[in-house]
Amino acid sequence: MDHKIGVYIDTGYGIGEALDIEALCTVATGEFSVPVCRAESYWNEPDKLAIIRNDIAGEGLTAVLIAGPSPRVHQDAFKFDGTIVERANLREHVVWCQPPNHEDTQMLAEDYIRMWIVKTSKYEDRPPFMEETSKDILVIGGGMTGMTAALEAAAAGYQVYLVEKEPQLGGWANKYAKVFTGKPPYTELTDSPVQEKIAAVNKSDKIKVFAGHRVFRISGAPGMFDVIVRADGPWIEKLDTAQNEWLAAKKAREAAGGAAGEKKEAEGEPTEPEVPDDPSEFAHEVVRVGSVVLAAGWRPEEPQNAEHLGYGTLPDVITNVQLEELAAKGKITRPSDGKEVSSIAFIECMGPEVEHPLLYGSNVSSLVALKQAQYLRKSNPDGKAFVFYNNMRTPGQYEVFYQAMQDDPGVFLSKGIPTGVASAASGLAVDVKDTLLGEQLRVNVDLVVLSTGMVPVTKDAAVLNLKYRQGPFLPENPYGFNDSHFICFPYETQRTGIYTAGCVRQPMDFQSCETDATGAALKAIQCMELVAQGKAVHPRAGDESFPEIFVTRCTQCKRCTEECPFGAYDEQPNGTPMPNPTRCRRCAICMGSCPERIISFRDHSVDMIGSMVKAMSVPDEYAEKPRVVVFICENDAYPVLDMAGMHRLQYSAFVRFIPLRCLGNINMVWIADALSKGIDGIMLIGCKYGDDYQCHFVKGSELAEYRMGKISETLQRLVLESDRINVQQLAIDEYYKLPGIINDFIELLSGFDPNPYKGF
Amino acid sequence: MAKEFVAEPDLQFTRDVIAAGGSDVKKCYQCATCSVACPISPDNSPYPRKEMIWAQWGLKDRLVNDPDIWLCHHCNDCSTQCPRGANPGDLMKAVRKMVIEENSWPSFLGGLVGQPSLMVLTLGIPVAVVLFLVYINGGFRAPQPLNYGEFINYLYIQGVYTFALVFAVVSMVLSLKKYWANLEANCPINVGAVRKPFVPSLIEAFKEILPHDKFKECEANNIRYASHLMVFWGMIGLFVTTAIVAFNIDILHIAPPSRGGPGTVPIKILGNVSAIAFVLGLGIMIVRRITQPDQAGNSSYFDWLFLFVIFGTGATGLLTELVRWAGSAPGAYFLYAVHLMFVLALLLYLPFSKFAHIGYRTLAIAWGKSAGRDVTLPVVPNYAPVPAQEGGAEETPQA
Repeated sequence: MDHKIGVYIDTGYGIGEALDIEALCTVATGEFSVPVCRAESYWNEPDKLAIIRNDIAGEGLTAVLIAGPSPRVHQDAFKFDGTIVERANLREHVVWCQPPNHEDTQMLAEDYIRMWIVKTSKYEDRPPFMEETSKDILVIGGGMTGMTAALEAAAAGYQVYLVEKEPQLGGWANKYAKVFTGKPPYTELTDSPVQEKIAAVNKSDKIKVFAGHRVFRISGAPGMFDVIVRADGPWIEKLDTAQNEWLAAKKAREAAGGAAGEKKEAEGEPTEPEVPDDPSEFAHEVVRVGSVVLAAGWRPEEPQNAEHLGYGTLPDVITNVQLEELAAKGKITRPSDGKEVSSIAFIECMGPEVEHPLLYGSNVSSLVALKQAQYLRKSNPDGKAFVFYNNMRTPGQYEVFYQAMQDDPGVFLSKGIPTGVASAASGLAVDVKDTLLGEQLRVNVDLVVLSTGMVPVTKDAAVLNLKYRQGPFLPENPYGFNDSHFICFPYETQRTGIYTAGCVRQPMDFQSCETDATGAALKAIQCMELVAQGKAVHPRAGDESFPEIFVTRCTQCKRCTEECPFGAYDEQPNGTPMPNPTRCRRCAICMGSCPERIISFRDHSVDMIGSMVKAMSVPDEYAEKPRVVVFICENDAYPVLDMAGMHRLQYSAFVRFIPLRCLGNINMVWIADALSKGIDGIMLIGCKYGDDYQCHFVKGSELAEYRMGKISETLQRLVLESDRINVQQLAIDEYYKLPGIINDFIELLSGFDPNPYKGF
Repeated sequence: MAKEFVAEPDLQFTRDVIAAGGSDVKKCYQCATCSVACPISPDNSPYPRKEMIWAQWGLKDRLVNDPDIWLCHHCNDCSTQCPRGANPGDLMKAVRKMVIEENSWPSFLGGLVGQPSLMVLTLGIPVAVVLFLVYINGGFRAPQPLNYGEFINYLYIQGVYTFALVFAVVSMVLSLKKYWANLEANCPINVGAVRKPFVPSLIEAFKEILPHDKFKECEANNIRYASHLMVFWGMIGLFVTTAIVAFNIDILHIAPPSRGGPGTVPIKILGNVSAIAFVLGLGIMIVRRITQPDQAGNSSYFDWLFLFVIFGTGATGLLTELVRWAGSAPGAYFLYAVHLMFVLALLLYLPFSKFAHIGYRTLAIAWGKSAGRDVTLPVVPNYAPVPAQEGGAEETPQA
């Protein structure tokens, strides 16, 4: 598509003093014959914006290129309805990090003008993806979290379907003797508020409760999920077994098959688990919803490595869940002989021998020990409660509760590692070492209570039973918790439109569950509303572009369906990908994965970036001005560059930055384009990856690194050194590392001959 | 592996400690800031950190046999620097009170003196005794010229006060004997088996106590050291004065110099200077306790009772002299009677009131000397810059 582009060069911020603006305009009007090119200071000011609007109206501009400060500032000012806006960064990327009025600085600025005019000219005109969508919400789990999410969504005016596997609502909250109040003075306990919540749910005409039901299957995409709800029964075990077996086999294949990105299925291996039942054969209901809140909760972790503590052999060694049940009945009595208990040892940490003594331990177990200590102390003024912990974690206002319990003369707190529990004359003798008393000690108690971890139910089963090409499960971390970008997007999952809340997400207490549920309900609503407008959800919220596939050239390699971190692609019967645009987060990792280069966005495509590379002017080999193209992640690396500019950090002027939606966009053809253009080196700067990844799209930077590992073949064909390609990970706060990384690479390249393809 | 011991918390003991002044002891979370802040705590098993958790856990046997509580001079640095407001200084003080009670002979007197609810009885006994003496000498009269011997016969005084003194000394000795035996048998600190003999240890202890050497190391609160030194030496001076005068009267039959007005005899100078130092030192203590509780620590009944009695003794003694100079015989006789009451209270309750620290502390310091328990940490000034070392400051120091 041909665009009439107006170029507006900002001369403020020192740009005018540091660059030859006239020469820049000549590039735009001369080389690219843009109809309008103006230079003024501070284009974001209202009178200047009026000039641009005049040009749009008068000259019929379809695109505007602002060459000035970072596109991360003044985003609201530069909005012109129906007109494309692009931003070239002459401030942070040029004048703030380069010497003024220098030949190389000028060349850098001119290259950016070229690259961004080319980029702008490659925009395509495509309407956003719109389809009729549902605005109902499915909530899975009828405990405190699920009920809160349902009530919040209903209060916001949305129809909710609440599926609970037990015959009655309430979940764990039905079983607790007392709970924390969450109110000042924070030192007392109260009765469980679950009954009021159940009554409110039953009263609401916006909530339809499926008690004693489970989700059999969820198919579709945000805005159009079709959910099959089926009465609980033995079928669920068969389904879980089949799905877990499939998952285990898939993981085994992946482990054998090597790294990510190379996961092509062998012939005959099932891409999807076998589902034992056919919906046509059993009674069920189908509901269409726009989004899903998964609040399926937790189960207690069976105490591991607790044999030396008598668990399973001594009847008076019980778990905190069992104690809660005892306490709910009234006085705490000993299981062995029914004697009223006057002393309890609470053990928070099972022992030192294993790496994770309590894998699913959390601050909740500390709070439960303190809470149960209060049960004893309230019922018996001479009762003694010993709490042996490794970490006493009482966040927020719980510190007040902790302090109150600590003040109680009958509560004895000590860090310590229990080494054994044995039968003694009047009860149990607990041996503890490494205590705060500085020695090994023994206490004689009536009852020993072991902490249990909270295992998310998603560890055992898919629960959602998704009908997705990538399987029925939410992608999980190694502990069975939903895997998300944990720093910035705790609510997100890798399945768009599905939000986890409560203890299925992480162990938490009542108050946190309620807060979490409210947040998840809000996210679910937000998702449905954005999808209805054809927009992306977090983290590219509002993006109206979406991937389009030129299917006729597809070779059914399935890389896009495999590599999409969000499972957006299902599969057509003929093996070509079937996109679900509302599942898509617009990260464009598929664009990088496609060897045929047939996936594109209206404002982001293989051709667009390749053309930007080609638009650079590359001096000949005698000029001793090497050129390096740096592909950067726009989420973290771009702000790093801006911060480096703000700090006026100086680095080589031979680099040209090209931002990508994610480093996972990187397509091999750009490398080839750059090298054949005579570019001396290529650098990729992405986010940290690994267990504590920081990639907004989970594995983009990891995929980029993986793909670059495969590039050596291309380099050999071109007779070039493999070190000309360099991949870096940079966290958003590491701006101070940037000059070192850039300059070191330039230094390294100076050891090589110039790229022999210059001038071809 | 360290030796194991069976912890059997005594809830009542913890409650008692809290009632005795260690009201914040349960707040401690064993960060050990107190032991680091203390300038005189030993390297091995430093106090007051361990005392805090022993008290929290109701480990009475350990605390009442712990000599460390007496090595503390209550500069209160630990309490002011405690991040949790657990006031370790107050705990140490509360335990000292409980140790005095625990070891007193006869034990009921320990209970009497420490009980705020029995204050009337505690103070009533010396008042009654003196009133009785006045009564059997013919009631309140003001014989002229001023002669205290005519007001109350010296023989009575000597009889009653010698009895009180002997009682106090015997009781103190018996209490300390019990305490020493407890320390020997049940000291909870692992100090090894090597002991220096008792007498040389005691002499070493005196060498430390007389100039207040250890007390002086509590740098945060030097005014405390100075005031205690004044009171301490003032009291010795007064004791020497009293002893010489008594010797003069009873053995040499020389009349006391009081009737000669403000004399310049050395004995009078010694007496007056000592009395002024004594009262001034106590005055500083009282004013600090009232105006700077954060520095001086929270003051309990036990503290105030002792301060009241000892300050009353000094103040009434001085006032008696001043009123006599002013020429008011009835006033002087009256104050003399009150003074006698205070002196009796002081003597009689020596082993049971806070005054008993004179014995317990001396003994505990001697025990510490005999067990080698006075290895102090080097005193490093707060926030002193670390001297630059060769090879760069980033290197971690070798342990």
